[in-house]
Amino acid sequence: MIYDRPELLDRLAAEYVFGTMIGPVRRRFERLRLTLPSAEAATVAWEARTAGLARAVPPVVPSPGLWNAIDWSTGGAGAQTIAKPGGWWSWFAPVAALAFGVVATLGIVRMLPSAAVPVDEIVQARGTLPASYVGILTDASGAAVAIASSTRHGRTMSLKVLRPIEAPPGKVLQLWALPKDGEPFPLGVVPREGKGAFEMADTSERLLASVPRLAMSIEDAPVRPGATPDGFILTGHCVKLW
Amino acid sequence: MAAPQELADLVARVALGDRQAFRRLYEATAPSLLGVALRLLRDRGRGEDVIQEAFVSVWHRAGGFRASASAPMTWLTAIVRNRALDTLRSGARHDADLLVDDDDEDEDATMEIEDDRPEPLGLLTQAADALAVRACLETIDGSQRQCLALAYYHGLTHAEMAAHLGSPIGSVKMWLRRGLEKLRRCLERAK
Repeated sequence: MIYDRPELLDRLAAEYVFGTMIGPVRRRFERLRLTLPSAEAATVAWEARTAGLARAVPPVVPSPGLWNAIDWSTGGAGAQTIAKPGGWWSWFAPVAALAFGVVATLGIVRMLPSAAVPVDEIVQARGTLPASYVGILTDASGAAVAIASSTRHGRTMSLKVLRPIEAPPGKVLQLWALPKDGEPFPLGVVPREGKGAFEMADTSERLLASVPRLAMSIEDAPVRPGATPDGFILTGHCVKLW
Repeated sequence: MAAPQELADLVARVALGDRQAFRRLYEATAPSLLGVALRLLRDRGRGEDVIQEAFVSVWHRAGGFRASASAPMTWLTAIVRNRALDTLRSGARHDADLLVDDDDEDEDATMEIEDDRPEPLGLLTQAADALAVRACLETIDGSQRQCLALAYYHGLTHAEMAAHLGSPIGSVKMWLRRGLEKLRRCLERAK
């Protein structure tokens, strides 16, 4: 193990926190934080040490609209204060959001043709309809890492992991639904690479109709309904395609 | 600034989906966090984008906050700094020295950031004063102190620091490494 020297981890963590660790090295260290508790502890220790340095920076009052933008992005009431009742924005916003999701999805499908096949082909081959709900999970840099899809009235969530996901041995990758209103709820467990599937507690139409986002966390074991996620490593839009 | 315990309580409520707590957390911390982001990015639009992304992430990740591991402001500052550093390195203009004024959207309402903001070395000295470790900081060699301040407050890379200081990159790396070792001792004394 090359990272079992505390002084090495301490130096790497300092460079990470000061920002002089850059590019792919920084990305790899971020993955190391997720998988190696001593790397995470060294980083948190430097963040705590430097807290006093950040406190010396003079505060700057944000623009008045910043809170509204945050409130709107998290599905809060700010959406209603921005949209005057009956105004064009009230219908345009959801349409624009859905259109963006579909365009983003089609973009991914075009980039990764193996992730999808023509609808007609599926209907003819299987006599069943293609996926209605599609979620694309992305990392902090916006790169797609996994695709989750299910038919509208089906209970099976199919998964395709585009890039192997790193997690400590013995842990599981848990997929969550983030409803527009309400707490995240667990959907099932995602494989670390390749393809997979799991059975959901109900049909996607009933579970995902008001779920605009999905997310993934690393957990000790598959979580039960009512549990709280242990921080998300990936998140992404969940759209209803038809 | 709200007390750490008060902020920790707000984060716990945010994890439960309490929107009022979310707003109070924003109001209590956003000005300090925007200050931190703007030191690195020096552009109000990009700084506010970082704060927006950070708070959206906080809304979804508040359940992952461990009060036993970090103070809430330390946790929030780390989220903002990491996002600001990613934005800074994403190829966008780094040395943009223009900052749009707070309450004026006119095109000409810009100001030179360096005009009214302390130099990074000045901030480091102020921080040491506030932590009562000024004497310790002053035992750190001047070049090393300069590198620490340029990296932490301005987000300069080794190469950018070398260009800024007109010194070889190898010297900059050595100054920073030694500076970090000494700074660590000073900051631990502050606890």
